[in-house]
Amino acid sequence: MVHAFPYLLLPHVLSSRNRARRGDRGDRLRAIVFGGIGLLVCTLLYQGSFWLTAQLAGYEDLGDYLLRLGLSWLFLTFLSFLAFSGIVTALSTFFLSEDLRLLLAAPIATRRVFHARFLRTVGQASWMVVVFLVPVLMGVGRARCAGPAFYATSIFTMVPFTIIPVAAGTIITLLLVNTFPARRARDILMLMGLLFAAGLVILLRFIRPEQLMKVESLPDITDFFATLQSPITPMLPSFWAGETLFASLRGGFDLLHAGALWTTALGSIVVVRAASERWYFSGYSRAQEAPKARFTQLRTLDRLVCALPLSTVRRQLLIKDLKIFLRDVSQWSQLLLLGALVVVYLYNFRVLDLQRIPYMSGFVKNVYAFVNLGMAGLVMATVAVRFVFPAVSVEGFSFWIIRASPITMRDFLWSKFWTGLVPVLVLTELVTVAANEFLGVDPFLKGTAAVAVVMMSFALVGLATGMGARYPRFGADPAEVSGSFGGVAFMIQAVLFIIVMIALVGWPSSLYVFRRLQGLPPSLAQQLLMTGCFVAAATSSAAVWLLSMRSGIRALEKMAG
Amino acid sequence: MIGLHDLVKQYGAFTAVDGVSLDVAPGEIHGFLGPNGAGKTTTLRMIAGLLKPTSGRILVNGHDLATDPEGAKASLGFIPDRPFIYDKLTAGEFLRFHGGLYGLDGHEIGGRVREMLDLFELGRWEHELVESFSYGMKQRLVMCAAFLHRPRAVVVDEPMVGLDPRGARLIKDVFRRMSERGVAILMSTHTLEVAQEMCDRVSIILKGRIIARGTVDELRQMGGGKDEGNAEQLTTVFLKLTGGGALQEIDEII
Repeated sequence: MVHAFPYLLLPHVLSSRNRARRGDRGDRLRAIVFGGIGLLVCTLLYQGSFWLTAQLAGYEDLGDYLLRLGLSWLFLTFLSFLAFSGIVTALSTFFLSEDLRLLLAAPIATRRVFHARFLRTVGQASWMVVVFLVPVLMGVGRARCAGPAFYATSIFTMVPFTIIPVAAGTIITLLLVNTFPARRARDILMLMGLLFAAGLVILLRFIRPEQLMKVESLPDITDFFATLQSPITPMLPSFWAGETLFASLRGGFDLLHAGALWTTALGSIVVVRAASERWYFSGYSRAQEAPKARFTQLRTLDRLVCALPLSTVRRQLLIKDLKIFLRDVSQWSQLLLLGALVVVYLYNFRVLDLQRIPYMSGFVKNVYAFVNLGMAGLVMATVAVRFVFPAVSVEGFSFWIIRASPITMRDFLWSKFWTGLVPVLVLTELVTVAANEFLGVDPFLKGTAAVAVVMMSFALVGLATGMGARYPRFGADPAEVSGSFGGVAFMIQAVLFIIVMIALVGWPSSLYVFRRLQGLPPSLAQQLLMTGCFVAAATSSAAVWLLSMRSGIRALEKMAG
Repeated sequence: MIGLHDLVKQYGAFTAVDGVSLDVAPGEIHGFLGPNGAGKTTTLRMIAGLLKPTSGRILVNGHDLATDPEGAKASLGFIPDRPFIYDKLTAGEFLRFHGGLYGLDGHEIGGRVREMLDLFELGRWEHELVESFSYGMKQRLVMCAAFLHRPRAVVVDEPMVGLDPRGARLIKDVFRRMSERGVAILMSTHTLEVAQEMCDRVSIILKGRIIARGTVDELRQMGGGKDEGNAEQLTTVFLKLTGGGALQEIDEII
C-alpha cells in the first residue's frame, strides 16, 4: 500500500514526541526560561499593537490610512524574511538532511518526497513569523473590536502568505544548488544573510527613527511610510495580505486580494513541484559530490602564533582553534552582526543629546557610565555564550585526539580560556572606553569601568569555559550548544554576576563622584566601605574565574569514567 | 611494553571488561579477537586513556596510566575504530598539530610529517582539507598521526575497516616493519585472516574475559582442529570458542 506524503513526516513527529517524553537534563529549565521570554515578547507585541491601533483610531481617516500602510509594511518586512528563511531552510531540508539518503533510496515518487519536504520547509521557515504575527493581529483586532471573521481571515491570509515566499526561496535554492555545491551555497547564503541583517541594523539606526517620535514631525511620518510605497508594492503578496486584513477589519471581505493570494500560493506550489521534478535529483546528486574544497592556508597566522612566547602544545592548540574557527563560515560570520550591533551601540552614545537637560547632564552622563558597564557585561556574556562556551564541545568526535595525547586537561582547558579571553577583553574594553569617551564621563569612572571590564572578562570567560567543559555537547552545532541547558545556566549566572559587579563597583564610584561634585572628600568610613566594595568585586571575579576553571578541569578529567 | 593487570570496567551493574590481564612484548603484534560486544573496544579505549578502569592497572612502557598518564600516552599511539578528525584542517596541519601535542616542533616536524604522509601514500594530499577525504584516507591519516611521534607501543581498533585491498596491504606492511623495529602492537580485529597472517599471538575475549590465548597454532589445537594453516580453520576455532553454534541455525531459518 502506498501511503500519502504526510507519512514521510512521521519520523519527525515521532522524534519530537520521543524527545518530549524522554526529557533531557535541563529541558524543563530551558522550556521555562525560553517559554517565559517568548510569552513576555508576545504579551508586549499584543499590548504594543493594541495601543498603537487604539491611538491611530483617534485620527479617523489618517489613522485608517496609517493602519493600512502599517499592515502592508509589516507584511512586506516578513515577506523578505520568509523568502530568505525559505532559501536557507530548503537547502537543509531538500539537500543536506541526513535522512534523504534513506528516503531517496526507497521506492518513493519524487513528487511525494517534494510534498513532504516542502510542507516541512514551510513549517520550519515560517513558524517564527506566525508566532510574531498572531499577537500583533490579535492586538489590532481587539483595538478595532473586530469580530470572529477577522481572526478567521487572518488564518486564511497567513497560510498563502507564508507559502508564496517560501516557494520562491525553494526555487532559488534549487537553482543555487544546481550551480554551486550545496555546502558552498550554504556558506554563501549565510554570509549574504548576515551582511543583509547587519546592513539593515545599521541602516535602520542611521535613519534616526527617534526623530519621528517628535510631535512636530507627524507629517514626516506619513512621508516616511509613503516612501516605502513604490509602483511595484501592489504587485507583492504583502500588499494583498495587508489589504485583505484591512478590509476584514472594516467588516468587509476583499475577494480580489484574497483570491490573488491563494491562486499565487497554489500556482507557486505547482511551479516549484515542476521545477523540483526537473532539477531536484541533479541538485541532490551534486550536493553529494565532494569537490576539492577551497580555503585559505592562513600561513600568516602560523607565523604570527609562532612568534608568541608559548609552549609547543599551547601554540599548536591555538593554531588549530583559530584555523578551524576562521574556516567555518557559520562560526565567524555571526561576528558581522555583532560588529553592526556594536557600531549602533556606540552611535547611540555619539548622538545622545544630553545638553537638552543641562542641569542634569553631568549626573545622567555618570549614570550612563554604569548602564554602559552593564551593557558591556551583557555583550561579554553574549559573546562568551556563543563563542567561548562551545569551545570544548566544538572538539566534537575528534576530542579523542586530545584525550589520547600526553597533555593534561588543565593545559587543554587553560588554552581554551586564553584563546577566548583575548578577543572578549579587547572587544568589551574598546566598547566601554569608546562609549565613555563619547559620553564624556568623569575620568575616575572611566578608569573604574575599564578595570571592572578586565575583572568581568576574566570571570565571565572563565565561567563560560568551565561550564562549557561541564556541560559539553559533542557533535552538536555551536549555536545549539549555546542554547543547551549549560548555555542557559551560564547566561543566568552571568547576568547575576554582572548585577553583583555593577552594585559593587557602581555604588562606591557614584559616592566618590557625588562627594566630589559637592566639593567634599569621602569620610573615613566611606573610604573603608568603598575599598571593601572594590576588594569584594576583585575577589568575587577571581573566585568565579578560578573556581569555574577548576570545576571544568575536574569535569573533563572525570569524563573518562 | 603494554601490560594489563586484572583490568575491570563496569557500567552500572554491567561488567564490560572482567579481569583482563595481558602482556604485549616489544616487537610483538598481538591480536585481540572477540565477537561484537565482547569488550575489545572498551579495553583498547582504557589503554588509550579514553576510559577510566573500574579497577586494575595499565602499564605502557613502564609508565602506570593511572599515576603517570602523560608518560604512558607519550609512548603510545592510538588508532580508533572510527577516524574522527578535525575537518577544517589540512592533512599537514592536522599532523603538525598532533605532533605538537607530543612535543614535536620546529624543523623536525615538517620532515617527519612529509615522511609519514609519503609512507601512507597521502603525500599529494598534504595541503587538502580533511573534509574532502574518503573514509579510508582519513583512516590512513589517523595512522600517520599514531606513528608520527615514534611510539613504543601502538593500540589499533579494527585497522582494516574501510580500507581497499591496496590500503590493507600497505597497513599490514607498515605494522610488520614497525614491529621489526621493536614497536609493540595490540590490534583488535574481526578479520580472522588478518589475525592469522599478522599476529604473533592472539587473545580471544568473550563477555569481558579472556577465554583463550596463544599463537594461532596453539589456538587451533585448543579448538581441536588440525594444523592446516588456513583462515577457515581459525574461524572454526573462533566460533567453537565463542559459542558460534547458533550459526548452524541460520541455514534452517533461511
